[in-house]
Formats: sequence, structure tokens, C-alpha cells
Amino acid sequence: MNRKLTFSIFRYNPQETGSSPGMREFRLEETENLNLFVALNLIRETQDPSLQFDFCCRAGICGACAMVINGRPRLACRTKTAELPEKIVLMPLPGFRLVGDLSVDTGAWFRSMNERLRSWIHTDENFDPDAPEVVMDNQVAEEIYELDRCIECGCCIGACATAQMRSDFMGAAAMNRIARFMLDPRDKRTNREFFEIVGTDQGIFGCMGLLGCHDVCPKNLPLQDQLAHVRRKMGRQALKNILPWYKN
Amino acid sequence: MQYQVAFPTASGSRAALLDLVQMLLGLALVVFMYLHALFVASILLGPQVFNALADFFERYYLAQVGGPLLALVFLTHFFMAARRIPFSQQDQKKVWTSTRMLAHRDTWLWTVQVVTAMFILIMGAIHIWVVLTDLPITADKSAARIQTGFWLGFYLLLLPMVEMHVGAGWYRLGIKWGVIKSSARNKAKRAEYYITGFFILLGLITLARFMFVSVS
Repeated sequence: MNRKLTFSIFRYNPQETGSSPGMREFRLEETENLNLFVALNLIRETQDPSLQFDFCCRAGICGACAMVINGRPRLACRTKTAELPEKIVLMPLPGFRLVGDLSVDTGAWFRSMNERLRSWIHTDENFDPDAPEVVMDNQVAEEIYELDRCIECGCCIGACATAQMRSDFMGAAAMNRIARFMLDPRDKRTNREFFEIVGTDQGIFGCMGLLGCHDVCPKNLPLQDQLAHVRRKMGRQALKNILPWYKN
Repeated sequence: MQYQVAFPTASGSRAALLDLVQMLLGLALVVFMYLHALFVASILLGPQVFNALADFFERYYLAQVGGPLLALVFLTHFFMAARRIPFSQQDQKKVWTSTRMLAHRDTWLWTVQVVTAMFILIMGAIHIWVVLTDLPITADKSAARIQTGFWLGFYLLLLPMVEMHVGAGWYRLGIKWGVIKSSARNKAKRAEYYITGFFILLGLITLARFMFVSVS
């Protein structure tokens, strides 16, 4: 016999006058291979059309359906109800502006973060459209691709106690992003320039190594090793910045 | 109006140096605390061995100079690490809510680090003061102290606080600076539990032995 699931869902619409934050319960019969994304759509179609949540790709690629599922930031589309108990508590991702119910504005956060990191290839070489493309070493390309798999879902920020405490802390997504540019041979920025961006308390030296980010990342990005790599690199650069024989 | 998140630009050198110094002082204290536990446990080999070791440290001024230096390192480490401790009620609430929500081992471990740090700050300072203002260290004096009044209870509380803090400390340092890779994290975690357990047990046996040293 199918389980009867109880969904306790955070409801609050900041745009609506008179709306106050609270939890509301919905009941749904579990079907085979039911995932949270489908369950939420069923609830919205059959029980409450005003329920707000985000989704787009349904395949763990867009990162839009990230939310806190029974205490853990996860993607709704990649979470089967069979993995969860009968009572499922859904909250919006903390650390982002609440749009309404389970929907948060991760886009504005990531845009600001990427602007702060200057998240693009910095080069002074002129682009020649007729020249043959410069081939990148395969291993380097794969290392960059590994980090580029980040879908900017925001789970790492939602799971970071430091980011919750300090809204100016850029978090693991940012460190992973800058690590990608540090690897890229086309980016001509020096370690000193990278240091100016992330060698701060808002960057890598604000990280306390709690590793919530690493443990919840739905794409299994190697965040622990990347954070340590950036910290060592920036730590070395900090010493070079003060040691007279390195200064120039 | 487009929503913007403020990521202010900030000068990094200070943050980086504080982090580096915090790491080095933390590491020095980890090494010191483990050696301290082993040296104090020399009482298990007899009061003569304990006294000989204490005498060695004093003859070469390691206690007289090293002691105050250690107190300085201890306090500096606290001030460095205190940059991360949420002192405002609002921040404490945020961290507490986040920690409880996640139920995540390493995030809880940080709470353990902060709480034990507060105990160690007060109790460690008392311990350092009591020992350094009554040099030389002898098995007789240490045993008399532990056998008097509330001191046994004091050390029974301080011991697990220190060992949990030190264990979590080296694990966290290893994670932060990449000495412990993600592939070795679970192994390192297990090692931390075993090492912490070993030193708590060693400390308990040492305290028990001090209870039975006959004080002249």
C-alpha cells in the first residue's frame, strides 16, 4: 500500500499585504518513483495554485529547484520521496532574498558574486577570428570543466553557517568559480590580482572549513579540495606581499 | 529596481596574515597539549620520573620562560580565533538555527570548538596561573592540589574540554589547508575520535594516579 505523505511547507508572500510566515500541511499519496519536483507540481495543480516554487529543467541542470528538504539544502528534482520519511518539511534556501514560499532569488546573489569576482577571462590579446583556435591541454581543460559543472543552485550557501552569519561572505560557489579562472591559461590575471579579489575575510580567509558546502553539493563538486587549494595559494601570496624580496 | 547583494571590496593582507598566524599558533598549541599530556602522564612511571622531567624543564628555563610564552600564545590564539565567534545575539541565533537545521557533523564540531574554547579560556588561564606562580613543579605539589577541594572536579572538566578542542582543532586545520584531502576525510575523522579518546583516557588514568600519590 502506498504511503500517505505529509508535506509541511513554508508559506509566506512578502509581496502580499497581510501575509505572515508559517508552515502549512498538504497530504499526498506516494506513487512509484515520485520525486519532490513532481509532488510539488501535484500539490499546486490539485490543492493550492498559489504555492510558489521554482523549477526549469527537471534534470538537476538548472539549479532552480534548490530548497531545504528536511533540514538539508537539495534539489527537489533530484530527490525521490522514497528516500524521505512520511513527513517532509520544505523550507526556502536561507541566505537569499525570498520571493515567496519556496522561491528565492539566487540569480541576483550569483550575479553580484560574479561581478565581484570579475568572472570572465581577462586577457589583453586581440581576438583574431581568422586564426586557428589555440588548443588547450586536455588535462587542463578537464580540470576546468570539473569546476565549471557548478549549476549555481545555491545549496552550498544555504548549508554554510558562515554565509548565514555574514551576508558579505562569498562562499564556496565563489571560491570554486575563481579556482576555475586560476586554472585557465587564457586568463592573464596574476596571483596578486586574484589575491585582491578573494584573499580577504569576504573570500577564502573568511571560510571556517565547516564543509556543509562540500557535503550538500548536488553536483558533487570537489569543494573541500578547491577551498584548501585557493587558501594555500592565497596564503603564499599573502607572504609574498609582505616579504621584501618577493614584493616586486 | 534590481536587487543587488553587497560584496564590498576589502583589503586582504590583514585577513590573510591573521589566518596564517592563527594556524601556526593553533598548530603549536596542538603539539604542546599532546606533549603536555604525555609529560604529565610520566607520573604513571613513578613520582621520581615525573620530578626528574619537571626538573629538566626548569633547569633549562623551559618552564620559567616557556610558561609565560605559552600563556601569551594561548591568549593570542584566543583573540585570533575570536574573530570568528559570534558574540552578538543576532549572529548567535543565525548560527544556531543554521546548525540545528543542517544536523551536519562538521558544523556541530565548530559549535563544540567554540563552547570548549570558552571553558578553556577561563579554566586554562586559572591552571596556568596556579602552576606558574608555584614553581618548581613537583609530583608532591601536583598531587596535593588534585587531592584538595574542588581541583579534581576542575581537572575532570578541563581535560575533555581541552582534548575535544585540540582534536577538532587539528582536524579543522588539516581540512582548511588541504593536508587532509576529501578522500581521506573520514579516515582523519576516525583518527581524531581515537586520538581524542586516547588522550582523555590517559588524562583520567593520570588524574587517578595523582589521587594515590602520598603527599609528604
